[in-house]
Amino acid sequence: MEHILGAIGTIIIGFIVSLWLPGLERKLIHARIQQRIGPPISSPGIMAPLKFFFKQTIKPYSPLPRLYNSLPLIGLLSVFFILLFTLPEAYHLGALASIVAIVGFLKIEEVIYVFMGSLSKSVMSLRMPFPDLAKGAKHPNVQRSFLEDISAMRAFRLIAFGSFPLYIALFIPAVISRSIFLGDIVAYQQINGPILFSVAGVIGAIVFFIGYIILLNEYPFVIIKAKADVIEGPYMEYAAKWRALIYIMRGFLMFTLAILFSVLFLGMPPTIFTWGILVNILVAVLFPMLMASFSAFAPIFTFKQFYPVTFGATILGVVALLAAFI
Amino acid sequence: MGTVHSAAIEPYRARLFVEDEIVKDAEITVGVNHRGVERIMEGLPVEKANSLTEKICGICSGVHLWNSVLVAEKGLEIEIPERASYIRIIVAELERIHSHLLYLAHGNEVLGHETFSMRLFYIRETVMELLRMIGGNRVQYGVPIIGGVRPRAELDEMKTQKIREGIDYIREKVKEFADRFTSDPMIMSRITGICPLSRKDALRLAVTGPTLRATGVEFDLRREMECYDPFEFDIITQDDGDVKSNLLVRVFEIFESVKIIRQALDNLPEGAVVDRSWEMQDTDITKSYVEAPRGTLYHSYALEDGRVRNVVIRTPSMANIGAMQHALIGHHITDAQLGIVQCDPCFTCTDRAIEIVKI
Repeated sequence: MEHILGAIGTIIIGFIVSLWLPGLERKLIHARIQQRIGPPISSPGIMAPLKFFFKQTIKPYSPLPRLYNSLPLIGLLSVFFILLFTLPEAYHLGALASIVAIVGFLKIEEVIYVFMGSLSKSVMSLRMPFPDLAKGAKHPNVQRSFLEDISAMRAFRLIAFGSFPLYIALFIPAVISRSIFLGDIVAYQQINGPILFSVAGVIGAIVFFIGYIILLNEYPFVIIKAKADVIEGPYMEYAAKWRALIYIMRGFLMFTLAILFSVLFLGMPPTIFTWGILVNILVAVLFPMLMASFSAFAPIFTFKQFYPVTFGATILGVVALLAAFI
Repeated sequence: MGTVHSAAIEPYRARLFVEDEIVKDAEITVGVNHRGVERIMEGLPVEKANSLTEKICGICSGVHLWNSVLVAEKGLEIEIPERASYIRIIVAELERIHSHLLYLAHGNEVLGHETFSMRLFYIRETVMELLRMIGGNRVQYGVPIIGGVRPRAELDEMKTQKIREGIDYIREKVKEFADRFTSDPMIMSRITGICPLSRKDALRLAVTGPTLRATGVEFDLRREMECYDPFEFDIITQDDGDVKSNLLVRVFEIFESVKIIRQALDNLPEGAVVDRSWEMQDTDITKSYVEAPRGTLYHSYALEDGRVRNVVIRTPSMANIGAMQHALIGHHITDAQLGIVQCDPCFTCTDRAIEIVKI
């Protein structure tokens, strides 16, 4: 019973903290760097989703509307399960509380953008009926592509190569502790000290951070929702409660990835029964702030810049893995 | 994309024919913003018609008015006081600075660099306030009138001092920005070699203004304008015709504009700012060209009983946008928006063409 209450309490605290993270990112860092007032700190993570919950739900045209509408919930659930399995109360669940399961759930979170993009048919990229549609156009009978289609293709490419740095970073603690189970990784660090303070750990943390930004689709790796071409990308047509769920999912993912870092590199799983949860919260706050500081000074990368950066980060991750073996 | 897109300030439509996200062909269409200003001007008293030209553009409003006034002055053979000519040039160059800063800010926005974009808008605020101080308005300052400038735009000691302080601040801040901008490898990687236009293509497609100079062609109409004779300034050129060259040309042109304003303030002649001794008469169609922030701007009309007839306006963006269709080909779709923006298009300016149907 105590285990269940502990898990529920930790998740509730995590959820509350996660609601503030987008606001901290935008108000304290972005707005400050850009010398503007910025939104109220509660606006991006709390008030905006709250507002969307009370908006009228507009259902866009989609070939599979039920699946399309349930994708934000699937994404949120996958992030929820990642957080659940990082809790010490879940370590006895065996394979579910392992790096492999975490990677699996992260893949679900990544793949939903492909589905979101390919199942949405927006009106945004449709042109107005100009006369040159009928006369004078260079290519009158071409297939129109939707902005979300382009995003879906980009999300697919990101699955193929963009998430390498994060996944390699996840396996560095596993190599050092010689176990893929989170319980063993935490136990190893409680005896030998945090992995972060080793050479492999430091390099791994850098690679993890790059992977963290890529997975959150934040500047400069924001290509699936680059405003310069695809605007909101895969979730352009989500409205009302579905859009609120997307906002909540993003904040929750920020928190969960930071908790994952605490578990893997600091050996500190979140639990409300110890003061260590404050360290978890501190890491969860620091990560978005560092990310915001970096992203505020970066332009959007196209694949021309994306490939070499990802390749470089992957190589760095491989170096960290080799260092971990040694 | 379009006709409305989050990365575009104004409505237009770009059809990009892509294969694996690489642009194979492009069609850029304007026309949704057409208001028929020329038609509205037809038959209006010349003073009213002139003030209407200021509404053509929200960025280079002053230069439209200036050119329209020049048409009347040429037709009526009016010599304006030298002091008025200097004040017009100060306003035109301030407008060029604010237009170029807007371009740089918008370019950074499309590039995804919101921080630079925001900071450039802050720098631009100084120019907007100077224009407000001179003309009483931030967007439509209405400085030139037939025969000189509005008495409201007379520059006293306090105003000239504020302009001096303002341009010093702008020069310092733009220099800081340019240093940061050009030393950032991430930005350079995004803008170098993107959507280039060759010198040959630029001439073939009648590109004008800074976009032409970014391809290496040393042409600036200000060199041929009599009123600019007393001022020393360089014609800024770059060689590559890509996004980087276009951005840099405008950065350096800001420094040249600052130089011109400083010379104008140092040598501001004494005397009246307007000559009202002219008389209205009928004129044939008179043409006038000026160097607007985006390139060569053309206005022409005839006068009949003090009213304008046969108004034609041609703006620089019209030629430049067409050239961008050519520049986008072979580049990534994310760079395409940057490629369109690199010519500093102004669609409210551009949507001028009218179809004359003979019955």
